[in-house]
Amino acid sequence: MLEVSNLTVAYGLHRALEQVTLSIGQSEIVVILGANGAGKSSLLKAIAGIVPALPGKRIVLSGQDISALPPHWIVEAGLALVPEGRGIFGDLTVRENLRLGAYPERSRASERDILERVLALFPRLAERLGQTARTMSGGEQQMVAIGRALMSKPDVLLLDEPSLGLSPLMCKELFAALARIRESGVSVLLVEQNARQSLAIADRGYLIETGRIVGEGRAADLRDDPAVRRAYLGGASGDVAAASSSFH
Amino acid sequence: MLIVDIILGGLILGGMYALVAMGLTLQYGVARIMNLAYGEVLIAAAFASYLLFTAFALSPLVGMILVLPAGFAASWLIYRVLLVPLVRRAKTRDALEVDSILATFGLLFVVQGIAFVLFGGQYYSYSYLSVPITIAGSTIAVNRLIAFGFAVALSLILYAFLMRTRTGTAIRAVAVDPTAASLVAIDVRKVAGLAFALGGAMCAAGGVLVSMFLTFNAAMGVVFTMKALIVVIMGGVGNLLGALVAGLLLGLVETVVARLVDPGLTLVATFTLFLTVLLVRPTGLFGRTGR
Repeated sequence: MLEVSNLTVAYGLHRALEQVTLSIGQSEIVVILGANGAGKSSLLKAIAGIVPALPGKRIVLSGQDISALPPHWIVEAGLALVPEGRGIFGDLTVRENLRLGAYPERSRASERDILERVLALFPRLAERLGQTARTMSGGEQQMVAIGRALMSKPDVLLLDEPSLGLSPLMCKELFAALARIRESGVSVLLVEQNARQSLAIADRGYLIETGRIVGEGRAADLRDDPAVRRAYLGGASGDVAAASSSFH
Repeated sequence: MLIVDIILGGLILGGMYALVAMGLTLQYGVARIMNLAYGEVLIAAAFASYLLFTAFALSPLVGMILVLPAGFAASWLIYRVLLVPLVRRAKTRDALEVDSILATFGLLFVVQGIAFVLFGGQYYSYSYLSVPITIAGSTIAVNRLIAFGFAVALSLILYAFLMRTRTGTAIRAVAVDPTAASLVAIDVRKVAGLAFALGGAMCAAGGVLVSMFLTFNAAMGVVFTMKALIVVIMGGVGNLLGALVAGLLLGLVETVVARLVDPGLTLVATFTLFLTVLLVRPTGLFGRTGR
């Protein structure tokens, strides 16, 4: 569905990503685990086209090369990003946010149907369509952000730390929603700090450290790997290098 | 009746301010271009109306059918040719603001220079529907009432366009968060250009309406830029309703001072009001903190 190869991002001299290669299959949930500053957000932003990558990269979405497209065409090609900090339009209402989600040509014709599906997924939004997005709780704003991304009828949905700042109950709801989104045929690429819950719904995972992919595997294997457990699942001070070594 | 005089006069003046400021707030709030040549576009539209009226006996209201699209097209061209290179190289929105101030400051003198060559420095006016009518004991020229009516109608149309249409919502989305706008497939540069052009059309409309009852000359543009800027900042940058309220308020205050105190003190009143608003609410009457 989505294939990324040789993706390098640099801010000045600092290399945030170094020749990252990864792939996501149809209806697959893939999680990227890594510490703060490992380059997870840069990865998603570079794929979505809002952060420039160095030459040599290749990003293919459903057979179409999107490496050189500006961000608004990447959305048209079928990729939607829910950015860090949600990126919703705070001054606008929930309805306006969702309607803007269907701004791309690819979803305009079926806006009504998709809206129905999004509201079925997040019934709470249906009650609050007229509310200004800024005045909602963090969890509700995250629903608006994900709902807005789904309105573009994406083939691949990218999410940057969607559980950040949410209550445990909200987190549970969120991950359940992601599982249902996958069931509807959308592939999900997820960047998360919450390793336990994300590995529980994911099919596969990648480990990223200082801009490099240092390991990958099936989610079930990652869950059981002692080094991963130590580094990401609430063990003592994480030793990522140890976690990665078992995959090389 | 003095009170009716003041209210009518204030509303008419304020309506012009509001209309002109709405155009500037579109350019500044959405395209992030601080257009110092804004008033020059307004004066150009006023001269266009004058020419159409004196040379072709075309009513300024009919002339609007030509002048508004011309203002739209000219502003769009200015954005594409002069400003897009700045947008491209600007690393941040703040950098773009500084660059655009310098570029449009230069543009101001270009447009003003052309106007001086064509029309010289003298004042111009023409007489269109300057028939007095009496409303509640107050006498007023019909052209002022018509200008006010058009200003209200155009403001409402613009407001409805921004609130009700897909393109209008996209314009507001770019004003709130351009990066997020690109994530819903909005071509930010295209929409910014559209907003800039739309602002230019509103500005041209202001020029046409003002020319119906004010005398003007080639050097007057800066007065309108300054007034519009004050109204935009008082109302909160990018806020249409704020521009409307602040425009009407400024018109009323200026008229009250001119009629009850001393016409020479209107500028003092303008800046007193401006500074008071900024002291009490630094982000404007309807602005939010921390944008």
